[in-house]
Amino acid sequence: MELLNTLFQSAPWGALRIGLHAVFLLAAAYVLKQMLDLRAVVGLKHLAKPRAGFALAGLVMAVAFLGVLAYQATWQLSGTARPEFIAFMQLHDRRQFNPAHWIDRGRILDASGTVLAETRAEQTPDGLAARRVYPFGADFAHVVGYADPRFGASGVEGSANIDLNGGKPGSLKEWGELTRQLITQAKRHKGNDVVLTLDAAMQRLAMERLGERAGAVVVLRPQDGAVRVMASTPSFDPNRIDANMFLRADPRARLLNRATAGLYPPGSTFKVVIAADALDRGFSGRIDCPADGWTTSGRYRKIRDHEYYEARRAGRSWRGHGRIGLGTALAESSNVFFAQLGVYLGHDAFTGTTQRFLFNGRITIGAGQTRQQYMRTGRIPRIPSSDRYGLAQASIGQGKVLVTPAQMALVAAAIANDGVAVQPRLVVRDQPVAAGRFMRSGTAGQLRGMMRRAVTAGTGRGIETPGLAIAGKTGTAENPFGASHSWFIGFAPADRPALAFAVLVEHGGYGSTVAAPIARDLLILARERGHLR
Amino acid sequence: MAKKPARPETLPDRWAARAPERQLLLWVLFAIGVGFLMVLGALPKDGIAVRGLDLLPPLGFGLAFFAVHLAFVGVGFRGDQLLLALVAFIAGVGLLAQFRMGVYAGRSLGLSHLVLPLGVTALTLVVAALMDGRYRLLASGLWVWALLSLGIVVFVLATGQRFRGAVYGSGFITPTEGLKLSVVLFAAAFIDHHAKALARWRGPIPFPRVRPLWQLALFAVLLLGLLMVQRDLGLVLILSLTMLLMLAAGTKRIGFLVYGALAAGAAGYAVLQFFSHGQRRVASWLDPFQDPTGAGWQVLQGLSGMYAGGLWGEGFSQARPRYTPIAESDFVYAVVAEELGFIGSALLLVFFALLCWRLMLIASRAKSPFGMLAATGIACVFTVQTLLNVGGVAKAIPITGVTLPFISQGGSSLLVTCIAIGLVLAISDGEPKPVRKKANAKRTAS
Repeated sequence: MELLNTLFQSAPWGALRIGLHAVFLLAAAYVLKQMLDLRAVVGLKHLAKPRAGFALAGLVMAVAFLGVLAYQATWQLSGTARPEFIAFMQLHDRRQFNPAHWIDRGRILDASGTVLAETRAEQTPDGLAARRVYPFGADFAHVVGYADPRFGASGVEGSANIDLNGGKPGSLKEWGELTRQLITQAKRHKGNDVVLTLDAAMQRLAMERLGERAGAVVVLRPQDGAVRVMASTPSFDPNRIDANMFLRADPRARLLNRATAGLYPPGSTFKVVIAADALDRGFSGRIDCPADGWTTSGRYRKIRDHEYYEARRAGRSWRGHGRIGLGTALAESSNVFFAQLGVYLGHDAFTGTTQRFLFNGRITIGAGQTRQQYMRTGRIPRIPSSDRYGLAQASIGQGKVLVTPAQMALVAAAIANDGVAVQPRLVVRDQPVAAGRFMRSGTAGQLRGMMRRAVTAGTGRGIETPGLAIAGKTGTAENPFGASHSWFIGFAPADRPALAFAVLVEHGGYGSTVAAPIARDLLILARERGHLR
Repeated sequence: MAKKPARPETLPDRWAARAPERQLLLWVLFAIGVGFLMVLGALPKDGIAVRGLDLLPPLGFGLAFFAVHLAFVGVGFRGDQLLLALVAFIAGVGLLAQFRMGVYAGRSLGLSHLVLPLGVTALTLVVAALMDGRYRLLASGLWVWALLSLGIVVFVLATGQRFRGAVYGSGFITPTEGLKLSVVLFAAAFIDHHAKALARWRGPIPFPRVRPLWQLALFAVLLLGLLMVQRDLGLVLILSLTMLLMLAAGTKRIGFLVYGALAAGAAGYAVLQFFSHGQRRVASWLDPFQDPTGAGWQVLQGLSGMYAGGLWGEGFSQARPRYTPIAESDFVYAVVAEELGFIGSALLLVFFALLCWRLMLIASRAKSPFGMLAATGIACVFTVQTLLNVGGVAKAIPITGVTLPFISQGGSSLLVTCIAIGLVLAISDGEPKPVRKKANAKRTAS
């Protein structure tokens, strides 16, 4: 026993083992040859002559075995011809020696060429192994995603997987070359780089400003949907994925991309949606907004403006807005106005608006050959026509209305782009695709003016910055889980918008003091980096 | 043709008569021994020291098969000389794969150590008991086999426990494996008894007569229906194909196969309509990438392993077949293909194909019709089962959940297969004296 154990651990065992492997196969082949040689001796001469029909059965059997073996070869030997198979092995095969891991997976770059993900060869105890490295760690974890043989892939790593592996070999020659490279391991097959529309500097600033707080930032170009920032906190380090993240329900939900999949009440930012519908319908009237608030029925709590609560807290009295138009109401973010406006427009109008704005759905943001990356838009259930108070609540972005930050950025982008929403896209090579017309062109123009006014003279005046011409809408969304969510959506510059954005900070408090400054800082950086020209 | 001598009389004659078997067997044992050295040699790599106990499975294997050979010599067995070596090689690869998957990793002598020796012993006993034409006694047990078959299914349905979509008896014994033998014996006896009536077809469109067929048909419908309730689609497929082929072989009526194919097509369509279980399997077979981490996971992991193994493989115990779920039973072929490469798995399939061919050959040359039918049935069960398993793992057909004979883990399966091979060996021993003297004389003259 001792002797055996020593032998197995000695240095020459490695070579000896390969020799034994060959001897085993040769011995098996030799047995077959002997059977061939002995066929005359072992003929069953004492039995009857062969019956008819059995030769045919034997032939069918042999053909079936050959067929299975030939089909097996199309996987085992020429699996490289199946890009989905290679992609599967890269993502789900933990065998380190699998040649699929030998492919030099392409890099993922931002718009200016900064490396967001690359594959490096590393020396491990088992030999040279490829490791996927994410230089910025948690900063791009959700949007770029991860690729791991144990846990699969997410984000762009998942949707652009086949491209990153080099795509499908186009010709027989290409295919042969790939197979040769994989089998001989003479040269590492190089996949394709994927260039994203993201701006790494802005993304990192967004992550830094969100900091320890949970939240999301989306910044994109309204005209072609190019996403500059897609940040979500809290995040995780894709360089160090551990099973606990998946196994236990993480109370902080670090894996969740809050930008594209987090559902939040939009609060006052939703008023731009109601305003757009009203303007589309030609609404131009004024509505009386009593200081004491308004409700649909005496049984329900009155909907009041934030000034009312501030005054009450300070022990002052507040006169109310009085009879105001849409522009003032949007700038001052009057709940009383929009609750009444929503109920005035009615249930059918509300349902039609949610459909036109593509709520309750998902939009492709990264199209791959086999998989796609999506953003959710929101979840707004149909409000029964008997429920007028529910409609009033929904019209100020409360109640059952839930949206994603990416969708609110898309709403802002549609206003900036004359009413047409262009699908957000992450990959530079993807062509811009219109998602739909959210509102009339004229409506978008009017809203641009009103949202500019909200920053110059309304709830967002705290972030007015000379030369930036920010237009936006704040939101302070009440929710049953704690302090209000802080929202700010908008675009800049107001007259010829180059960037649209949505910022959300979970339980951040006022939109004007928490979310809006983050947007301003990002826009200042964007101007330095030439994104506002 | 020279008149074949009867049984060799003296022991030296018997020893000499089975020299080819001995020669082949020794080479097979050598190959498996080399394989075992590789498997053992990989243990220290994973931090496990080789123990004395680890030498027991290969030694037991070698001794058991050599003991069979000696027993054959002892009783003057004159049957086929290739089968034993073929079985030894396939079972040896199975033992290597099982050892490699840690079946024998226990601290003490376990039941798993005894499975193969027990199976081989059963094989020997069956041969000794049924050789020299005694196997024909089995034909008289016609309704015993029928009742036994139905009894097994009803028993399993009544007491079985469901696990991974199949039904097991207590202690994870699969009594339904026994059907592969009892159904074949019943069908062989029945068709042998009614061969003439079954072969007499009539009508403008040739159609078998109902009268001689109805008992067999009722049996088949009952049995297959109950198996369907257990969702054992693989076994249903094996048994129905076997019974049809036996009918065709016993009556020389190819029409049975035509009508059988029509019925099977209709039944298969109906099954897919009503059993979501089967539907899912077909869907994940057609496009495993539809749900790669769910329905397609097992077959894709198996294929990934094969791809990683490539042409030559990484060598026994060098690869990581554990990543394929339940690799030690249904997906054991993927383990072999991963560790021995395409060449190794092709070699194994050649051994399988030779074994199937040899079983068919014995069937085609058996002297009594009952022997021919029984051997046909066993050859068919063996061939179809092998093809279903290997085809499923290679994704050539949907997964049916049948085991690979001699290689997959499972005592019931191994025992039944050993007994079946023993029966075919006994048939290959021939008859004590010519069954019909005149016919034999005519054949000798021609």
